[in-house]
Amino acid sequence: MKEKTKKWLASAIVAAMAVLVVLSVARAARVGDRAPDFTATDSNGKTQRLSDYQGKFVVLEWTNRGCPYTLKQYTSGNMQRLQHEWTSKGVVWLTVVSSAPGKQGYVTAPEENSYLKQVNATPTAVLLDPDGSLGHLYDAKTTPHMFIINPQGVLIYNGAIDDRPTTDVADVNGAKNYVSTALDEAMSGKPVSVATSRPYGCSVKYPN
Amino acid sequence: MANRVDPPLSKPRRIAPPLMGCALLAITLASTAQAQSAPPSHAKIELIADEAAASKTTTWVGLLFHLDPGWHIYWQNAGDSGTPPKVAWQLPAGYRAGAIRWPQPVRLGSGSVIDYGYENQVLLMALIERAANSAAAAAVSDAALPVGADVKYVVCREVCIPGKAHLTLSLPAAGGDPPAEASKWHALFQQTRAQLPKAAPVSWKVSATADKDHLILSVRGAPPIKSAMFFPLETAQIENSAPQAFASTEDGFRLMLQKSDQLVQPIPTLRGLIVLGPGKAFEIAAPVAR
Repeated sequence: MKEKTKKWLASAIVAAMAVLVVLSVARAARVGDRAPDFTATDSNGKTQRLSDYQGKFVVLEWTNRGCPYTLKQYTSGNMQRLQHEWTSKGVVWLTVVSSAPGKQGYVTAPEENSYLKQVNATPTAVLLDPDGSLGHLYDAKTTPHMFIINPQGVLIYNGAIDDRPTTDVADVNGAKNYVSTALDEAMSGKPVSVATSRPYGCSVKYPN
Repeated sequence: MANRVDPPLSKPRRIAPPLMGCALLAITLASTAQAQSAPPSHAKIELIADEAAASKTTTWVGLLFHLDPGWHIYWQNAGDSGTPPKVAWQLPAGYRAGAIRWPQPVRLGSGSVIDYGYENQVLLMALIERAANSAAAAAVSDAALPVGADVKYVVCREVCIPGKAHLTLSLPAAGGDPPAEASKWHALFQQTRAQLPKAAPVSWKVSATADKDHLILSVRGAPPIKSAMFFPLETAQIENSAPQAFASTEDGFRLMLQKSDQLVQPIPTLRGLIVLGPGKAFEIAAPVAR
């Protein structure tokens, strides 16, 4: 009996590991699929759920204030401009920080709130994701990495902020912004012409 | 005696510090301890030549990156994060530089973010060619050949630092064809050339199929091997961090690659390197059956 239990346990562990492996390689957030729902805490301590925003467009923006690809967007004021423009059109803009404690870009809630003031950034909320669970749910690779979810809860964009994969602030002008293009198209009932692109940036600083 | 065509390592030519604007901004905005008053560049670059003097027709030059331990730059497909170095050559009229010959990269990173690039030292070489019947080029070839390179790159470890450099080199005229004697870098050029990815063996029959979540790459006509790794030439086609399931087949092998979340359209061809070991990287272009 004892031996049987051991065997059962061993096979259960193997099965559990197999499930884990399958989960870890499953595609996370594919355009055209339902965006995975999540619950996260924002920098004001408020709980944010994706499902609370059914009926609205939602932008997810992965960020890391120390990353030169992110700084390109914030130094130029481009990201702040986008946040302001789209939130005033009713879009929910959720900035996500998935840097682990001790890694570049990790912030506490008060640090993030004072940073937002300092750089004049006005997303709807900043989700603090120090364990990386939200990042892994969407398989966010880089900062920035952008996702757009439509009012029906379907992912309609997964990729880069724009078509100039550099760290040069000068490249912001004249770049084709994929987020604005996708939102413009989706809001006027058109299909999104560029629904995916390679996100470019620094790696998300997940916990080891 | 070989002419000296490169600066000694201790005195590199002008290598600009990482983009000062960004560095300053980081100091201003970062509340964590990332900011440093004079961030080290972590990469030194030399512009070097294979030969001590420019030949009448072709000359190999290269950017030799010396990277601090743990730091890396990127392959032409950087993988999940980062971006490859870019070079803009300055050459006299009648001369042109070919594309960078990218050596075999290594996989970098861990977990769900995997990149392709180089650590320690890498030589990115390019062939400079003189246009036939170019009067302008003929005039230059009687004097020294000036070569300039504007390089932009991002060097990363845990964090990334952008850098740029303007490098110059003046190759004395060879005054003859075939070319003059080798520079002190000749052995390094030879060694790098020998390690460059090669055309796949003619016996290989390479093809691919696609299902909803995978691209299955198949090589037939290959001797039995135990493992292989695919490095995609294009970004956002395969999930770089996913395991590549290897299987031996009757007359070759198969690699099961997970599609990238960003791959939503069918691709006609899967291009990249099949790597069997150090110095054994083969360029393939597999038609993808639907």
